[in-house]
Amino acid sequence: MAEPRRDTTGLLLLAPLLGVLTVAFLVPVLSLVPTSLRPYVAGRGIGEGWTLEHYTNVLTDSFYLEILARTIGLGFVVTLATLVIGYPLAYILARSESRWRHWLTLLVIFPMLLNLVVRTFGWIALLARRGLVNQWLMGLGITDEPLRLMFNFTGLMIGLTHIFLPVMVLVLIAVIQNIPRDLEEAAGVLGASRAAVFAKVVLPLSAPGILAGSILVFVLTVSALVTPRLLGGPTYKVVSTLVYEQFLQLLNWPAGSALALLMTAIVLLLLWVGARVARRWEARE
Amino acid sequence: MGIRTALLATALGCALAASDAGAQELNVAIFGGSFADNVRTCVAEPFQRATNTRVNFVLGNSVQNAARLRATRGRPDVDVAYMDLQVVVQAKAEGLLDQIDATKITNLPDIYPSAVDPDRQWIGFMYSATAIAYNPRELRNPPQAWADLWSPALRGKLAIGDISATSGQHFLIAAARLNGGSVENVEPGFRAIRELRPGVVTLYTQADQVVQLIERGDIAAAVWFADRVGAAARNGVPVAVVFPREGAIGILPTFAVPQGARNKALAEQYMDRALAPDAQRCFAERQYAGPTNRKVELPDDLAKLVPYREAVDRLYFPPPELVARNLPAWTDRWNREIAR
Repeated sequence: MAEPRRDTTGLLLLAPLLGVLTVAFLVPVLSLVPTSLRPYVAGRGIGEGWTLEHYTNVLTDSFYLEILARTIGLGFVVTLATLVIGYPLAYILARSESRWRHWLTLLVIFPMLLNLVVRTFGWIALLARRGLVNQWLMGLGITDEPLRLMFNFTGLMIGLTHIFLPVMVLVLIAVIQNIPRDLEEAAGVLGASRAAVFAKVVLPLSAPGILAGSILVFVLTVSALVTPRLLGGPTYKVVSTLVYEQFLQLLNWPAGSALALLMTAIVLLLLWVGARVARRWEARE
Repeated sequence: MGIRTALLATALGCALAASDAGAQELNVAIFGGSFADNVRTCVAEPFQRATNTRVNFVLGNSVQNAARLRATRGRPDVDVAYMDLQVVVQAKAEGLLDQIDATKITNLPDIYPSAVDPDRQWIGFMYSATAIAYNPRELRNPPQAWADLWSPALRGKLAIGDISATSGQHFLIAAARLNGGSVENVEPGFRAIRELRPGVVTLYTQADQVVQLIERGDIAAAVWFADRVGAAARNGVPVAVVFPREGAIGILPTFAVPQGARNKALAEQYMDRALAPDAQRCFAERQYAGPTNRKVELPDDLAKLVPYREAVDRLYFPPPELVARNLPAWTDRWNREIAR
């Protein structure tokens, strides 16, 4: 008797969120589907009838496939980089008993308070041909020629890793804080080395945080537009900049929609696979 | 009770404020930056005073403005839309524009015929050009022709526009014509730019990037817009313009009334105001825009900087329909061959 009632309460509690998601996410995405199937004639606009050409164009063209692969590769590398840099940081912040802890956490969040464009311009000042980094490297005699740090994979990776690091750290702090410290002490008492405690206790227990943070950072990276446009420029494109170009420079909405939907489908597939792998891993532990 | 009263008062206040702004309101989709500021000074403010209308600017570039009309087809939220020539012809082909009533535009007889759509769906309000900008402190012998940009002296000192910028499209056309091609055959243009590419410092996407590139000394010359050169030089940037010997590529920004606009009559009044000689002269002085009204008199020093009278005849205006039709193919090829 009590069981079904709790279900409806749960549904009711979810209703506002579901409503917002449907209106603000599902409907706009689905409305792209018919657009992506329309033919497009340059100079004349969106035509009548139906066609799959925008999908086949992308999937059969090595140029588009290269950019799809590059975008997903960027997603993986940035996720890994934020995880490797963020995990120790999160662990220290979560376990610290210093009275500076809250200030240190605030320092991690601080970059998020700055406008994205400002942060990206900061990186441009650092990474440009005559930027600060190259000036130092050349001044110290490490390199003779300025390094190419912008308009390529390196530049995007550095910029996006910095921008999304706080997301990863915040998710990990919350999870690590919830791991009872007693468990670590118990393992220590039973003779486990510090490395073993970390590998066999802390790491598996923080898996949900690793998964959640990774998904967030991955999705944010592959859909980022402003940073790739500024740090990648016209010569280093990713999927989101191509979609932008089709929509807002060429007015070819059908091709832009097809590309956006393909990317969404690929990302959903990767997330599904990632979640399955993670669940199996957790179950085994 | 307090909250409810406050809410009621706010609602009432808003209603009053809205009605106070006058029954007349004109929404204009316009390019941003100094362009919008100068249109406000030269056109919108005098118009506002004369007609007791509030003019609201909605900022966007040509394509964004066309996208706005397409998305709100038949029920547009703007009454006037500014678009460059190759974009406005596409909006016209898509049936997004209304015909302008010639009797309402008293200045129309004075506008150069080449600046008015034969079907009167758009009117050009200024001339500009894609030309060569250079830093006079760095180049004693500035390039005089498009062909000079291939000279070894400019290797590593030149910026050109990406294909997403009008200047990139125009440079492709200029390079094609220079090497025996045309708008319909840009193959020679692609070959020539591919050859030039290793010596090009950057492909810029925003016109304003050129200012920083020149100021930092990263480049000594650029393919850039004549009106931007004028405005930058006035702000102290070391830059001057050359209209290349083979012919600079003409730019004709236009405005149009979207199909189904709520205030068409008011929109036509606004356009008439923008085409009047005093407004055109004001815009020439501030924006370095060549007037499309033949009655405008410009002082000699200004006449040298803007496309004016016979200088307009020396410009080459690529057929906009052809550009609009070919642009996706050009972009695709540019992305693979030049911007990689």
